[in-house]
Amino acid sequence: MTNKGLLASDLTISRAEHVLLEGAELELAPSTITYLYGENGSGKTSLMRCLSGLLQADSGKIYWNGQPITSLDSEYFQDLIFLAHALSMKAELTILENLSFYARLRGIKDPKSLIDDATSQLGIAQLQNRRFAELSAGQQHKVALCRLVIEPAKIWILDEPFVNLDKATRHWLALLIQEFAKQGGTVLFTSHHEIEELAIDQRIGIEH
Amino acid sequence: MASRWRWFHQLGSPKWFFEKSAKWLPWIWAGTLILLAVGLYYSLWASPIEARQGQGHTVRIMYIHVPAAALSMIGYVAMAIASTIGLVWKMKMAFAASRAIAPIGAAMTFIALFTGAVWGKPTWGTWWEWDARLTSELLLLFLYLGFIALHSSFAERAKADKAAAVLAIVGVINVPIIYFSVKWWNTLHQGYSVTQKGALAPEFQVPLFTMIGAFYLLFIGLVIMRLRVEILMREQKSRWVADWATEQKAQKRGV
Amino acid sequence: MFRALLKKELMVARRNWIGIVIPLFFFVMVVSLFPFGVSPEAPTLQKIAPGIIWVAALLATLLSLEQFYRSDYQDGSLEQTLLIAGPTQVASAKILAHWLLTGLPLVIVSPLLGILMQINHGFIDSNHTWVLMLSLLLGTPTLCLIGAVGMSLALAANRNGMLVAVLVLPLYVPILIFGTSTVTASLENFSYNGQLAILAALLMIALVMSPFAAGRALKISVS
Repeated sequence: MTNKGLLASDLTISRAEHVLLEGAELELAPSTITYLYGENGSGKTSLMRCLSGLLQADSGKIYWNGQPITSLDSEYFQDLIFLAHALSMKAELTILENLSFYARLRGIKDPKSLIDDATSQLGIAQLQNRRFAELSAGQQHKVALCRLVIEPAKIWILDEPFVNLDKATRHWLALLIQEFAKQGGTVLFTSHHEIEELAIDQRIGIEH
Repeated sequence: MASRWRWFHQLGSPKWFFEKSAKWLPWIWAGTLILLAVGLYYSLWASPIEARQGQGHTVRIMYIHVPAAALSMIGYVAMAIASTIGLVWKMKMAFAASRAIAPIGAAMTFIALFTGAVWGKPTWGTWWEWDARLTSELLLLFLYLGFIALHSSFAERAKADKAAAVLAIVGVINVPIIYFSVKWWNTLHQGYSVTQKGALAPEFQVPLFTMIGAFYLLFIGLVIMRLRVEILMREQKSRWVADWATEQKAQKRGV
Repeated sequence: MFRALLKKELMVARRNWIGIVIPLFFFVMVVSLFPFGVSPEAPTLQKIAPGIIWVAALLATLLSLEQFYRSDYQDGSLEQTLLIAGPTQVASAKILAHWLLTGLPLVIVSPLLGILMQINHGFIDSNHTWVLMLSLLLGTPTLCLIGAVGMSLALAANRNGMLVAVLVLPLYVPILIFGTSTVTASLENFSYNGQLAILAALLMIALVMSPFAAGRALKISVS
């Protein structure tokens, strides 16, 4: 296996005694944007969590650049950003502290300039020293999106990234995803409705 | 080698186990009954009472107490081994087995504690004494209860299985530590000891070992029965369980 | 990475400092109940002091677990850190932070409780307070290590903090036995080196195994 990108073969996922996916095959090549659709409860989130290595599949293998993602020398988790429903920010910390924390986890020594750049792109630069809990829901969402700009990655798995975004931010995110893919990034995302701004290369549906 | 793996594989199949165990059970119960009958006859009538300690007939409690205590420990170890197999080889049957063992092991622990207390009343003049053995049994009961409490606290069975398995493994590593701590603590406080030093006289050995054998079979039989129920609950959506259920219904109507 | 994880824990705790102080209040209050319940006489208090202080330390550690792990699980930051930093490392950072913020303060305020419980009654320039602190210094990390495993397992369960107590308390018994007896031996003018050595050995065992087990447990909880 020398395939670049993410490859899942013969994937079976079940949740609470309920089989969501059986023997699924999936290939996410570099420079492609994949749209994952399906009804509520069809298993989109479970599939994404499984591809992120959080949820263990009942059977099947997942490879990143030809290596199983669980193998020790796999660089998958350095290359991956997974944005889940939960925004994963500490309410007690400021925007700057929250984002610095994730940047430092990624080994970025001095993330301040990157954070400045990301927050000003989204118009929340002046709020950097406000605590996360004091922000509005929309602003909180933008903070989570900042991670995509700050942290280096080769694959994004995004669970409903467009939900609750105003038009300008949606547009911004679509451009960001497009740009990331152009540079060789792999993207998998879910959304409730079509995103017109985004040119999608691959569609995958979960149907029962 | 190949055949052994096949056997391991088959044990991992709930359906295979469910079908086979139905054939094993009568034999296990027959063995249990025979051993119990022999063991109880010897331990309740045909064995001497111990005059040495002036305990009289209370010594007969030993024939229940010792087997129950032995199985309470072995049950926990078996639970931990099943949990390890489940976690390492991702075998669902092993998780089911560890869940099936837990209440029966807890019951054995309770029997050991209860008989210990009944024995303690005439011997020490009190129902409870912080004797090293009894204290260890009490803590073992707590460990069992923790396992059952944790396993029953999840909405999702897969998560419950794994979490409880980790707890069982952590617990089994702690069992010897707890046991030696309690023993050390007990000698510190000039404790009492239920066990007499020295080898058991042969006239006690026969009924005791028969009873231990009987308890082993009883334990295995009960675990298999629990495991069968566990399998039916876990596999209730599968085809073969539905087939089995209709078959059972048809048989009942036939009678 | 480890430093980043630890720094985040400490920063969150600083903003949330009252949550760190509450276990300490609890520790002091529980111990000071006993003179009312048992007897204010110095010899009696002195006799029960080691046990009371140790049980209180044990409960304070246990009660502080919940707030220390729960919020990370709920806001999703736990799964993110697990993805980036790996389970054992995340668990180690959490355990160390938990001990620095609960275990160590307990050690530091324990002399105060020694005074309340008349631990030095009848002794002139005794070192019982030091022995108490030393036993807690060796014992509280083990409490945090074992507690982390129990808490990590209970995170995804739909139960409250009582569950963790049921899982963890039986495992705390050896530490309680040797922690208490260290202090008792000192009060009775016996050598207590053996007990301290065993406390240290228990700490070593927990140190080797708990971060791994807690990491696995965290991974199971977020799955």
